Amino acid sequence: MDSNRYKLLLLGGAVRLYFSNTSLASLIGNRVEFATPLNSFKRLQEGVFLLQQGVDPYGGDLVHESPLLLKALSGILLNYAQWLPILYILFDLCTATLLYLLSHTFVKQKLKQQQGECKDYAKDTEELQYSENDQFKIPELVLLAYLFNPLTILSCVGLTSTVLSNLLLALILYTMVKRQLFICVIVLAFETVRSLYPVVLIAPLLLIFARRSVGLSIAILMVFVTSCFAVAGANFLVMNSWNYLDGTLGFIFYFRDLQPNIGLFWYFFTEMFEHFRTMFLITFQLNATVLYLVPLSIKLRKEPLLLATVLIALMAVFRAYPSLGDVGFYLALLPLWRRCWKFMAHGFVVFTFFLITLSMMGALWHLWIYAGSANANFYFGATLAFSTGQIFLITDLLFAHVKRVFCLYNGQRILIDGEEARILLE
Amino acid sequence: MGLLSDPSLSTHNKLVDNLAKHMRKLCYAFYTAGVVWFMCLALPEFNHGTYLSENALSPGLVYPEIRIDANRLAVQMLEELQRERKDHQATTPHAWILAKLNEFGLETHTHNYTLRYPFGGGKEFHGKNIYGILRAPRIGSTEGIVFSAPYRPPNSVHVDITPSVPVLLAFAEFARRKNYWAKDLIFLVTEQEQLGMQAWLEAYHDGDKEGDNSNSYLLAGNLPARAGSLQAALNIEVQDLEIDYIDVKIEGLNGKLPNLDMFNLVQRIMAREGVTSGYKQTPRKKRRSNFSTYEQNLRQMLAMLSTQSSGVPNGNHGLFHRYRIDALTISAAKRVTNSNVKSNPSSAAVPLLKAIEGIARSLNNLLERFHQSFFFYVIVHNDRYISIGDYMPALVALIACSFLKAYLTWSTLDVIERRPQQDGDVAEGYLGPAMQSMKLSLPYGVVLLYLALALFIGYVGNVLPLQKYFMELPLGAGPLTGSILVALNLIGLVLPFVVVLPAGGLELLHISLLLIYGCALIVIGLLNFSLGFFVAVLSVPMVVALNTGKMNRTLRGLTRLWTLLLNPLVVIYTIILIMSFYQFPELTFQQLLLRAASAAMDAVTFALIDSVIYGNWLYFAICTVFLPLWIICWTLALAKRSDNKISQTKLKAN
Repeated sequence: MDSNRYKLLLLGGAVRLYFSNTSLASLIGNRVEFATPLNSFKRLQEGVFLLQQGVDPYGGDLVHESPLLLKALSGILLNYAQWLPILYILFDLCTATLLYLLSHTFVKQKLKQQQGECKDYAKDTEELQYSENDQFKIPELVLLAYLFNPLTILSCVGLTSTVLSNLLLALILYTMVKRQLFICVIVLAFETVRSLYPVVLIAPLLLIFARRSVGLSIAILMVFVTSCFAVAGANFLVMNSWNYLDGTLGFIFYFRDLQPNIGLFWYFFTEMFEHFRTMFLITFQLNATVLYLVPLSIKLRKEPLLLATVLIALMAVFRAYPSLGDVGFYLALLPLWRRCWKFMAHGFVVFTFFLITLSMMGALWHLWIYAGSANANFYFGATLAFSTGQIFLITDLLFAHVKRVFCLYNGQRILIDGEEARILLE
Repeated sequence: MGLLSDPSLSTHNKLVDNLAKHMRKLCYAFYTAGVVWFMCLALPEFNHGTYLSENALSPGLVYPEIRIDANRLAVQMLEELQRERKDHQATTPHAWILAKLNEFGLETHTHNYTLRYPFGGGKEFHGKNIYGILRAPRIGSTEGIVFSAPYRPPNSVHVDITPSVPVLLAFAEFARRKNYWAKDLIFLVTEQEQLGMQAWLEAYHDGDKEGDNSNSYLLAGNLPARAGSLQAALNIEVQDLEIDYIDVKIEGLNGKLPNLDMFNLVQRIMAREGVTSGYKQTPRKKRRSNFSTYEQNLRQMLAMLSTQSSGVPNGNHGLFHRYRIDALTISAAKRVTNSNVKSNPSSAAVPLLKAIEGIARSLNNLLERFHQSFFFYVIVHNDRYISIGDYMPALVALIACSFLKAYLTWSTLDVIERRPQQDGDVAEGYLGPAMQSMKLSLPYGVVLLYLALALFIGYVGNVLPLQKYFMELPLGAGPLTGSILVALNLIGLVLPFVVVLPAGGLELLHISLLLIYGCALIVIGLLNFSLGFFVAVLSVPMVVALNTGKMNRTLRGLTRLWTLLLNPLVVIYTIILIMSFYQFPELTFQQLLLRAASAAMDAVTFALIDSVIYGNWLYFAICTVFLPLWIICWTLALAKRSDNKISQTKLKAN
């Protein structure tokens, strides 16, 4: 089994290496679907150059990478620029490995939990329970889904810093599952200061580490806030100015760059009257962060990892500058819920949606920007449909989970007066 | 919210089952709906009257000032040019044109370019364009309008359009004396048909590239002077100073069209000057037909779509579209019989000159590029059009067939597999655990490899003819490209016999074909509606008819025959055969077949050359999209199965 994993990792690395040497790399680096103002490699280069010249990179409106990473990458970019693609590939492989390990541990935990609960399960529900075989099957599927998803491959080839975000997110999830509170909180704080939205992951974190005691959760929260400040302080020490806060978090929150992307913000904010901007800004940001947080946390309190998956997915849909790399990451988490798949009715529809909208995006972007015959509305239509597809997927996953849990305890075939029963949501 | 929160526990939907039973009928219903919708578009209720959307154009707001002396000048210059032409049988009288432009006081330059013809061992052709810039007195050369006229030497095979240059020059002389120009006017005389125009445009926009790029076939060189960003262009083709009618040509490279406002502008101004003009205008005799309005409209639409679908521009204007410059050609036809209409030769071209002046002054008013009206439209009649929102549903209905079939096939995949082993004694809506994992254990990897292989075969067709060692063969371009394509098609034909997919592979291949086919048609339909629509009309019924399951023997044979007939090469050959049948009705059948074969070879070569020089992507689409899709269709039509039970049982054990 293990050798298989290494083979897959090697193959995934080879595919990435091959494509990063073709002309595809620069093409993807310029595509708005992959490279947003936040994660594009071009802007990183600009930041490194400004840093080298002794100019504050955050004074302008181009660089939005966090100072610590900028500094670290500038060392590599200045001295070993030709190795950078390899480094990104290694990061991606690390992400894949972390996801593999986390899913392995997760299935093991699930199996253990099942052993305790299995006497309450209904009879014909073997297919809904995690089996011994899943220990190997699911991690392999996760690995496959991350390594060979075109979205993650291309976002790695285009050298977007989504690769780093994905690594950090994978690390957060991994430490969550492994119950390593301290690392988890620190990485989460780092990623929060870097890109704001991961702050919602504090909910699954609390659910895992401080399920019963309020005191502990308050303590964890305190630690989290303190480490956020510590990370911010460290960033300050690197830059010697607080400008970066506005350049990173402020830039995300105020949505200053209206460059089109696959998200929902840009079109809305280009069309809107300026004096409503603040109100809609808050609405949109609430939608991307806390709106779904509370209800989902209550509903999924027993499944913190599912909560984390759904939150990451919602983040990828609703965040200010989403990229396809984010989408690729949460798609790789879906195999964890393999036992829910039976109830996922829209998988094929969503896949078709993705296929159509992604191919349309390319064509419409060409017509809009290069040929000048189409316009923003065409492109936005495609991105809107893409987001709708993602929402379908997330909702489908949630419903499948609810149905699975129900069936696990009540059996799969419930007949009322000889007819198939239906679950009513009340 | 029923769609998202279906409360049913089983994912097995009875509606889907019922629909799946009538899948073919449903698909053909969609197909018919799409075609009928398209036919309906020719009805006046379904299309709209054209209108000018851009107010800045305000056509006809000023009185034309061009007078009979301009016409006199044109006549005089035409005589001079005719004398020059006697000495320049195969070349352009550059010196004469240069002298004229200089004489009018324009900033005159020549532009040299070189074509490195890739085939037949490589040859070099040189060409020369001449252009004069009239600097606008009101602005600092930030925007420009192009007026161009192609020049054809006497030995050219095309229609003689010598008077275009005198008309252009006469207008230039008139324009030079006016002080109201707010945009630079460029008067351009190109040679060697579209090649000269392409070279000029390339040089204008990205001239003087560093280092002689060895893999570009057209070396465009550089221009000594420019006139800012080009806003619009008018290409003038005049057969004679005495004009019968004007045909407005709009179809550009890859089926792009100029803004509808520009077409309307030309129509309005032509009408004001009393010149008969229209889209696909034909001589008066032909126009006198007894077709109903509906039939005329439909013919007009189909004519437009067929011109568009090849992606080859039907005039020099088409190349401007590539650079976001709205352009069209006004092609003035010679008056053949003027027994009824007696016109004074000394004032014959005045209406045309007035019209050109009117168009120029309207374009001069433009505050920004054309952006108001439509870029995607089909012209039904000279003053009626169909917008994208109205014609797209036809294509969408056609494409929907393939997605619908894909969905239904996918959802009933389990059912098909279940039937043979458990004869309906399982309660409805319940799937055993073995069934559930069916979809997971399909041979995804193998099918993906097969798809990649098909794609590779197509891609090879795209790059192979341009390889060095092939080009150095002492073989004409036609036979070379033709034989490579035939060889690739043969490989595609044989492939399904050699590679047999494992169990479940055919079903998966079928579904992926439907998805890829649908996506490809959507993209092609967005970029070039006509091509997408024609391909869809031809191929959707075949794709719907494909069946991997049990099937009547004759039916399967018919499907195979149908698939064979839709091979890209066969389709190209058939189209050319029909065209040559109409063009040379005197030939015997055998001669016709041979002639069509050589014509088809030439056609693919031209398509290849068009793709490398002008950036026409028809060849690419046929090789890299349609050929692989056809290979997969052919595989499915053959439906070769590996008939070993072991793999079947293995599949179920999973």
